[in-house]
Amino acid sequence: MNVITNSSKSVITTAIHIPFPQTFQSVRWARKPRWLGTAKSKLFRIPPRPVIPKEEELELRRLNNNYRTQMKSIRNYLTERYHVKYLPSSNVEQIREDFEKDFAQCNEINTKWNEEIKVLREQRIAEEINKNIEEAKKQLNEQIMLDKKNLEKAEEEVRLEKEAAKAFITPDTLEAAIEYAVNNPVDYNYAIDMEGNKIIGKDLNSSKL
Amino acid sequence: MPFKYIGRTTDFKGKTLWEIVGNLKNYGIGRYIKRNVFERYPEPSFMKIVKVETLPSPLEASMDDLRKVKVWVEKTFRGRKFPDVVPLKSATYKSDYVLIPKDEEKKYSDLKLEPIPEKILPRTTNFPPLLKELIYRDAEVKGETLKEEPKLKIIYKESMQSCYRVAKEGETPNVQIAYGLGTPISPSLYQGIKLK
Repeated sequence: MNVITNSSKSVITTAIHIPFPQTFQSVRWARKPRWLGTAKSKLFRIPPRPVIPKEEELELRRLNNNYRTQMKSIRNYLTERYHVKYLPSSNVEQIREDFEKDFAQCNEINTKWNEEIKVLREQRIAEEINKNIEEAKKQLNEQIMLDKKNLEKAEEEVRLEKEAAKAFITPDTLEAAIEYAVNNPVDYNYAIDMEGNKIIGKDLNSSKL
Repeated sequence: MPFKYIGRTTDFKGKTLWEIVGNLKNYGIGRYIKRNVFERYPEPSFMKIVKVETLPSPLEASMDDLRKVKVWVEKTFRGRKFPDVVPLKSATYKSDYVLIPKDEEKKYSDLKLEPIPEKILPRTTNFPPLLKELIYRDAEVKGETLKEEPKLKIIYKESMQSCYRVAKEGETPNVQIAYGLGTPISPSLYQGIKLK
């Protein structure tokens, strides 16, 4: 492909290269699903209760409480500041007006694109129709030629058959044919060598060949 | 026959509320009960039954589906009596209720309650450093100048049981919610570490 933009080039160069993919095994990314139940070997295991020293427990609780309070406060602050609901311009008329304005702009761009595409499309369709007509004409000619050829072939066959039919045995010539066959017996009981020469044995009457 | 318990241990110790209330005369109205887990607090926590409504037994009684009951109580939690009668229902299946014998009832009814000192919590705290920087920069872009350091409004969870309140406007809080590690309860854990 000749048309590669800069961005697609960089994507290609930064892609991870795995030299021998068959030597890699994918990591199991999720825990075993709950419905598979407890493993047989772990079924009757009773995990010991964790024993945390009192002072450590108190300190951990204090830190955790502080953390949760602070996170809650920060989350609340960010929500109040950035959530659409709390934005100063969040009156319905304004939002609708903005939307309509944006929609009109998008519509204009879309119409422009459609017109551009329409010219291209009509051009393409015209080209396609011409191409199809040419193709059809070509096929028709070929078909005519083929039919002609077939007819000639058939007529030739018929001619040959007609010629061959002269030697056919009819009820009128049957008697004569029998007479001829009786008078001229043929014996094929001979051997041939690699060159196709007939080797006639001593028992064979050469006159019967 | 002595019981031998197997499996995981639990913090609960006692009976379900229905086991207690259903076996008492007049459903135990006027009697005192307590939750065993609340015995962990130094201040007294107990309840006096005011009204009882029964609920149907589960179709298949099992350890996972124990019978509940609706009970209204005068509740005292950590030495502080609730102003209104409290309904209990969803937690009544827990096998953690203990009936207080009649001869001990006087001890609870005559108890002079000394509620734990109320914590007054600060309304605001400092922003985390990066967020603060962001706020300053945002203001700079908008062409505003911040007169004083921006403060983060703290959100607290409030419940009937909470022993704290948020400071009023201009009031000095007696607890600090500092950003970072703060003041440790157990300084022995931080030996050799510099705390700001």
